[in-house]
Amino acid sequence: MADENGNGKEQKGLTGVLEKVKVDTRALKDKAAEEIKTYKEYDRTQLYKSVFRVKHDETPRGRALGILTNVFLHLHPAKINRDAVRYSYTWGMGGISFYLFIVLTFTGVLLMFYYHPTKGQAFRDIIYLEADVPFGKLLRNMHRWAAHLMVITVWLHMFRVFLTGSYKKPREFNWVVGVVLMLFTLLLSFTGYLLPDDQLGFWAVTVGTNMARATPLLGHEGPFGPQLGMNPFNDVRFALLGGSIVDANALLRSYIWHCIGIPLVISLFMAVHFWRVRKDGGISGPAPVMLESEIKEIKRGAVAAPIKAGGR
Amino acid sequence: MSDSTDATVLSQKPKPEVKAAPTPPGKPAPKSTSPGTAQGENEIFQKRRHIIWTCIIGYLGVSFLMFLRYFFPRALFEPSTVFKIGYPSDFSIGVDTKFQKAYRVAVVKEPERLFVIFLKCTHLGCTPDWKPAEDKFKCPCHGSGYTSEGINFEGPAPRPMDRAHVELDAEGEMIVDTGKLFSWFKGEPSHFNDPGAYITV
Amino acid sequence: MDWHQIWEIASTPDNVPIVALLFLVPFYTWYAFRQARANDRLIGELEASPELAKSHHRKTFPFRPEWTREVHVWPYLLRIEFLAAIIVTVILMIWSITLNAPLEEPANPNLTMNPAKDPWYFLGLQEMLVYFDPWMAGVVLPSLILVGLAAIPYMDENPLGAGYYTLKQRKWAIAAFCFGFLVLWLTMIFIGTFIRGPGWMWFWPGQTWDHSRVVFEVNRDLPDLFNITGAWGKGILGAVVMAIYYGVAGWLVHKVITLNEFNRKIYRRMSFLQYLTLQFFLITMLLLPLKIFIRHAFRIKYIWITPWFNI
Repeated sequence: MADENGNGKEQKGLTGVLEKVKVDTRALKDKAAEEIKTYKEYDRTQLYKSVFRVKHDETPRGRALGILTNVFLHLHPAKINRDAVRYSYTWGMGGISFYLFIVLTFTGVLLMFYYHPTKGQAFRDIIYLEADVPFGKLLRNMHRWAAHLMVITVWLHMFRVFLTGSYKKPREFNWVVGVVLMLFTLLLSFTGYLLPDDQLGFWAVTVGTNMARATPLLGHEGPFGPQLGMNPFNDVRFALLGGSIVDANALLRSYIWHCIGIPLVISLFMAVHFWRVRKDGGISGPAPVMLESEIKEIKRGAVAAPIKAGGR
Repeated sequence: MSDSTDATVLSQKPKPEVKAAPTPPGKPAPKSTSPGTAQGENEIFQKRRHIIWTCIIGYLGVSFLMFLRYFFPRALFEPSTVFKIGYPSDFSIGVDTKFQKAYRVAVVKEPERLFVIFLKCTHLGCTPDWKPAEDKFKCPCHGSGYTSEGINFEGPAPRPMDRAHVELDAEGEMIVDTGKLFSWFKGEPSHFNDPGAYITV
Repeated sequence: MDWHQIWEIASTPDNVPIVALLFLVPFYTWYAFRQARANDRLIGELEASPELAKSHHRKTFPFRPEWTREVHVWPYLLRIEFLAAIIVTVILMIWSITLNAPLEEPANPNLTMNPAKDPWYFLGLQEMLVYFDPWMAGVVLPSLILVGLAAIPYMDENPLGAGYYTLKQRKWAIAAFCFGFLVLWLTMIFIGTFIRGPGWMWFWPGQTWDHSRVVFEVNRDLPDLFNITGAWGKGILGAVVMAIYYGVAGWLVHKVITLNEFNRKIYRRMSFLQYLTLQFFLITMLLLPLKIFIRHAFRIKYIWITPWFNI
């Protein structure tokens, strides 16, 4: 009896454990199945909600939020004048210029992986890049042509802004910022030109910096320069080149201006430029036409109003 | 916010994202007077949408692959790994480190053979120094210790230091190539006795 | 007519952007003027009928009163921007696959190529070097161009045309800008690319670029014409001529500024400072084509010669 009992208890113990395991596993499986079901509605998980804070459904509110709550898109307003969407008004040249700038930054960074800004290596690096690096030739071509294309789109953008009078009040300052941006675009192009250290770049920079030595007052060959004590070793050309000749120092400086110096500055000005577009009232048009008879006469002699305290 | 009526906006179906040329927005979506046409049009929009998105994702995907491949050039220009270290008779029995600074090797001569240890610690790659007073190589980085034959016995090194390929040229001078290494991985047979791993003296 | 030479120049990879410009600029100019004409027609109609002026929505775009004035940026603007990005990328990829960026021989300070040209966007400046000294063509004029451009909004007192294309309401502003941009800047680039060959000599399109061509061009200075040889004489003559030029040109510009009733209305709104600045930039801008003309027509190089600078 005791044996049986003992056996029974043992058996019960064993089967009991087995039973418990079976029950527990089934419970676990059910729990897992339930959990997996909830993942089908992925947009309700905390993981999803923590990344995508806002629901972008097809309602006006959803559409507005899609723009306003997005770090990349919130440069745009939520809504825009119906006619401003037309290509024929803006030509899209400003946006295209910005897009090209991003393409140039991306391709430029990639090109930096295979370039040493030294006299001994720069030229050979370009040959190496084009011959031995997969897609190196394509990348270099993309970088160069995007640069030329960007100069063209910047000029077309300036042309369009002028023809639509979009520099008039209150957008005068943004036009000035735009002129500065155009200058920096040209300088980026110019500093990049020297980097392959080939004849083309070398002589272009020689001619360009030789013009610097002819700067009035600051160049050692410019009007009144020598009178102010300018010589080849302390004038503005020397400052640009890091020396009196177009050599290793010029190459390195060109590299740093091209890859870091000017991009940082131009990004700053771009931020101001985009900011001003929004703050000046968005895209200028197409605006309703104004008639000559509707020009408000300025009262001569009246003192202009100061900027209102507390902003517009 | 403008006071445009939401009702007006809602009543207009949003234009599908894919259009060859931007049409003036606000044109009312095709009224489903005959369900067949509306359905057909929708299908075309869907197909167009699919094609364009596939092209875009395809382009981005291929670009990403190109981006990855870009980082592996087809030819490398690195210094040569082949150099001469003189005649076997130039060396006496024991460990000689006169070529450590120039080539990162230690020449070990034993009564029967001569071999060249490539002084790269098998732990994390530093250069172990020969300590004649303690008759061992000691790595300064994490303390790995190797015998005078380069066999690890203390510290974190997992296996002995590799030995470089060495051979005699026509004049009897030894040519070492640290680009060809002989290893002894744990649990595997040693390659230290393979031809080229040593010179018989 | 050497077509091959033309093709050689046009197909040089670094010149392709200018060829592109040759198509893009006329196209966009036409595109803009087309809209300007439509707007001007509308303006004409509105000016003719005051009731229409009161009730019209005042745009040449399609309009329905029940349409909302604004549309959502998402999707309407974003999809167009997306499309633009796609098109630009496609153009860039095709361009990059078919044309290779140039790479000439390694830099050699002892050997200059012939011709040695600036990148195309600076060719306008390089062409100016023919007519002016380096300090003028390379520093002063570019600075004036930039400052002049930046000053445009502050000199323009015409409130019309802010936000739409028009020719009628901004005749002179557009004429001045197109003159500076299309006629001066872009034409100089065109000349620098297609016309200037070896030795920076002038080759008409179709002429073969001959490195050994010799040109006898004896230039003289203005004082030489009057047989003035002393430094003082040259300096004074040049100053007088420049003063006369600024006077005459200033008078001419003033005539244009006060040409018609509308111009005079705008003129009355301008301050003295604005007027002077505008005069200065317009007159200086006209100095370039004038100098080009007297160089080609009369072979005159310098007008004003001083010990410190020459113009």
